Amino acid sequence: MAVHGPELVGRRFSSDAVREVTEESITTFAKAIGADIQFTPPTFLISFSVSAAEEFLPTLGFDWSRVVHGDQRFLHHRSVYPGDQLKYASEIESYKSLAGNEFISIRTDFFDVKSEELVSATWSTLVFRGGQE
Amino acid sequence: MNWQIGMDFTEKIFYINRESLKKYADASGDQNKIHQSEEFAQSVGLPNVIAHGMFTMALAGEAVRSWVGSERFIVEFNTRFAKPVIVPANTDVALSFTGKVIALTDEDLTIEIAAICDGNKVLTQTKVRVKL
Repeated sequence: MAVHGPELVGRRFSSDAVREVTEESITTFAKAIGADIQFTPPTFLISFSVSAAEEFLPTLGFDWSRVVHGDQRFLHHRSVYPGDQLKYASEIESYKSLAGNEFISIRTDFFDVKSEELVSATWSTLVFRGGQE
Repeated sequence: MNWQIGMDFTEKIFYINRESLKKYADASGDQNKIHQSEEFAQSVGLPNVIAHGMFTMALAGEAVRSWVGSERFIVEFNTRFAKPVIVPANTDVALSFTGKVIALTDEDLTIEIAAICDGNKVLTQTKVRVKL
């Protein structure tokens, strides 16, 4: 298992790839949780923020098959609507290793590509479970 | 609606099963096999298939929207995933949510949520701030 340390704190990752919010993606998500499809669910952006981490963390040697979610926070500045074009910037805000498990907290900000406004900030703590391997 | 600090919301129960986990996986893009395969879940030391923590959080959000109205804007939403929600095969698992108003201003309302599955608090420190 890869060894990481506090030098990870402050590492940033982002993508210039535009994430397009389609009506279909909101509807599919809303239906999966039994929600009213007219209003974007407050956790909808998780699919974007987790996929950002899923692309980046394995490049640092984290084993994505051993990840579980520790905590989650959303701070929304406005709702997400179909047709929104978003981009993100992420930063590792904390790291600790405890009893063989690694806890990594990542903040991801979502911006509107056209207006540059901050749409939402999300924080995720991911726990990489140490194994018996 | 006349909001007051301390007011309780009626319990909201959702039933989830393996099929709902697959739907959530497809909708969210989180295809981690611990949420779909018993064999895989056990190979990484879990007792059985577990629900996505974010699925439980999403349902907590829906409980809140059933209490305050889906049209209301949720400004802030926090939780900690305290215990896994275990979803055995061919079983509908009940997730129960209750809520209480813990803060109120002219602009927003904060609700603390309790999430229980099989007698366990599966989420803790769960708070939602809703714009009024």
